[in-house]
Amino acid sequence: MVDVATTLEMVQASQAGMSAVGAGLAVGLTGVGTGLAEMGIGAAAVGATAENRDMFGLALLFTVIPETIVIFGLVVALLLLF
Amino acid sequence: MLRPERMRRLLIAAPKSEIDTIIGELYRHNVYHIEDFVPESTPGALSIGHPLSGASDAASALIKVRAIENACGIDSENVEIRERLPASKVREMIRTDLPSIQKETEDLVGSRSRLETRQKEHEQRARELEPFAAVPLDLEFYRGYTRFTVFTGHMSHDVEIDVPNEKYFSDKVAGNMIVVVVQNEHREQVERTLLDAGFQAIPVPEETGAPADRMKAHLDEARRIESEIVAINEKIAGIRERHTDFLVACDELLTADVERAEAPLRFATTEETFITEGWVPEDRADRIQAALEKATGGRIYIEELEIDDDTAVPVEYENPSFARPSQLLMDLYGRPRYSEFDPTLLLAIAFPIFFGMILGDVGYGAVLLALSLGLRKFLKGEGGRALLKVLSISSISSIIFGVLYSEAFGFSLPWPTLIFSRHLNIGGAATGHGPQVVELMIVAIWIGILHITLGRLIGTRNARSLYHGKHAMKAMLSNLGWLGVMWGILLMIWAFFPIPLMPDLTGLPVVAMGFNVAAVTGVVLLVAGVIGIAQENPLEVVELPTIISHVLSYARLTAVGLSSVAIAMVVNYISIGMMIEPQLEAITPVGVVLIIVGILVFLMGHVLNTALGLLGGGLHSIRLHYVEFFTKFYKGGGKKYNPFGMKSKFTEE
Repeated sequence: MVDVATTLEMVQASQAGMSAVGAGLAVGLTGVGTGLAEMGIGAAAVGATAENRDMFGLALLFTVIPETIVIFGLVVALLLLF
Repeated sequence: MLRPERMRRLLIAAPKSEIDTIIGELYRHNVYHIEDFVPESTPGALSIGHPLSGASDAASALIKVRAIENACGIDSENVEIRERLPASKVREMIRTDLPSIQKETEDLVGSRSRLETRQKEHEQRARELEPFAAVPLDLEFYRGYTRFTVFTGHMSHDVEIDVPNEKYFSDKVAGNMIVVVVQNEHREQVERTLLDAGFQAIPVPEETGAPADRMKAHLDEARRIESEIVAINEKIAGIRERHTDFLVACDELLTADVERAEAPLRFATTEETFITEGWVPEDRADRIQAALEKATGGRIYIEELEIDDDTAVPVEYENPSFARPSQLLMDLYGRPRYSEFDPTLLLAIAFPIFFGMILGDVGYGAVLLALSLGLRKFLKGEGGRALLKVLSISSISSIIFGVLYSEAFGFSLPWPTLIFSRHLNIGGAATGHGPQVVELMIVAIWIGILHITLGRLIGTRNARSLYHGKHAMKAMLSNLGWLGVMWGILLMIWAFFPIPLMPDLTGLPVVAMGFNVAAVTGVVLLVAGVIGIAQENPLEVVELPTIISHVLSYARLTAVGLSSVAIAMVVNYISIGMMIEPQLEAITPVGVVLIIVGILVFLMGHVLNTALGLLGGGLHSIRLHYVEFFTKFYKGGGKKYNPFGMKSKFTEE
């Protein structure tokens, strides 16, 4: 006969573990997504800035637009953990 | 404040005889932004003016001064102002002293470059001789045979040669060295053997004597030349020491001369008169007009023109002094247009608050404050100074938030957090009720809601000043529409879900279909908002999801901050909790090493986290302004107000 209390503890522990894994995936995958998106933008932005210094502000703006994705990942992760 | 400085558009016309006086007067006042004259393609009555006499002399003297400055490494941007030289004295010295200084510098630079070439030559010779120094043969033994062939070169390993020969191999030098002497009839055979073994021929240097001695002689010579170069550099440094003040004064004076002399190139002229158009700040317009009338004795015609095109007006900020450094951050994005709302003041207030919310830590704040004050010694340019001022204001805000969060380098301070706690449970460091992540997140969202609402309200105001007639009305309605959609969604959320720190509207009386008053109001606002947006441009409707993403984007104020806290706490836990503390209980030799490593980990970790905090705090705060706030109302693209004239730093009239 399996001890009910132990099983319950195990289930709770595995739930906590799963939500930690979920949080990790949320940050990790969104980080990869942001990275992929910023790869092209960043290269083009640096090129544009090299051509014309005045582009810097706009280039920075373009580059950080995909950053929102990873922030959402971070938010989801924090909500999962706390 | 909150809008660029008001400008007046002036048209000045005068006889050509007054051109010198007028240019001088305009230059002295340093307020007149010249609108360059662009001649029409078909030749009309007006043409571009000619430079004043003396323009080319001043320009060539300026080139000389700049060349000397360049040779001596003087950068007038970074020169400390010691005393201001009178202009007449500088002019006198340009005639008397400048030629001799120029000759001296030119001679020194010339002989330095000659010496450098010779030094390179000797070093090259020494490099060529180096492999031969490993072989005990004088250099004359390599040449002058009629019946023998000499092979010299690099080789990875020694080889056996099966004909009569004399051979030296050394692996003491880089690439090894092999010398083989054979009779001419075996030449081809030996050459093939050598090449098969990876032989790389090197020529024999055209010298005599023992290679090692020759090499030493060349190196000694190179060293001797090096000391001569050092002596010349000292002399150049001496020139810099003695003449910096004079040279930067010359530079300034001559630059002013050239600018003045070339000003007519920006004017329109007829046979006898010239005409110029330009911009003057409103509060100084009367003074310059009076000064011009007086200087020319009334032989001048000044008319104030209507401002018809808002994009043509040069823009100068008008801000209280604490907001002035933030103008740099505005310029990075783009100057406001003339008729637009100038958000510099809002940026100057909100940026440090955002920075502090993200990097709220007394320790990091203090480090950054010290850094920004310390760097002021090295950064003398205008932009650098402004950036450091923004940084010091931001780090003070960071210290204040650190006190509120009760954090210093990830440790908690002796008092409980005064607002919401960010103490994560890393290494059992959580105090009280643990981190209040949800509350912090909601506060960040609130800031987002208010910031964006403010942005949209300014957008409504801007719509009136940027557009005219029907379009202005449409743009205003569209801005209100965006506000309606945002608040409609919020009301609907509040009507269904109770959220901490936000109004709980779930208990309101139900009106229809299970929707309560708040939900119905929300739906109405949302629909009205969408209509408002669509009437300006139906395509804008696809942008609706940005309402949610932009508001949620402010969650980074909490999220980025928490990640910085987490790094700090992990560093503390690894270095102190895991390495230093256990060793302090019983000190052993290994323990002492571990303690030192622990201290290193602590320092490295916090240096890294300070850098990350500076980047994260700064970039995310400015990004929230650029992407989330400015896109709601800001156009930008104003022309920089660049008055004709110069603030003299090194000279005085």
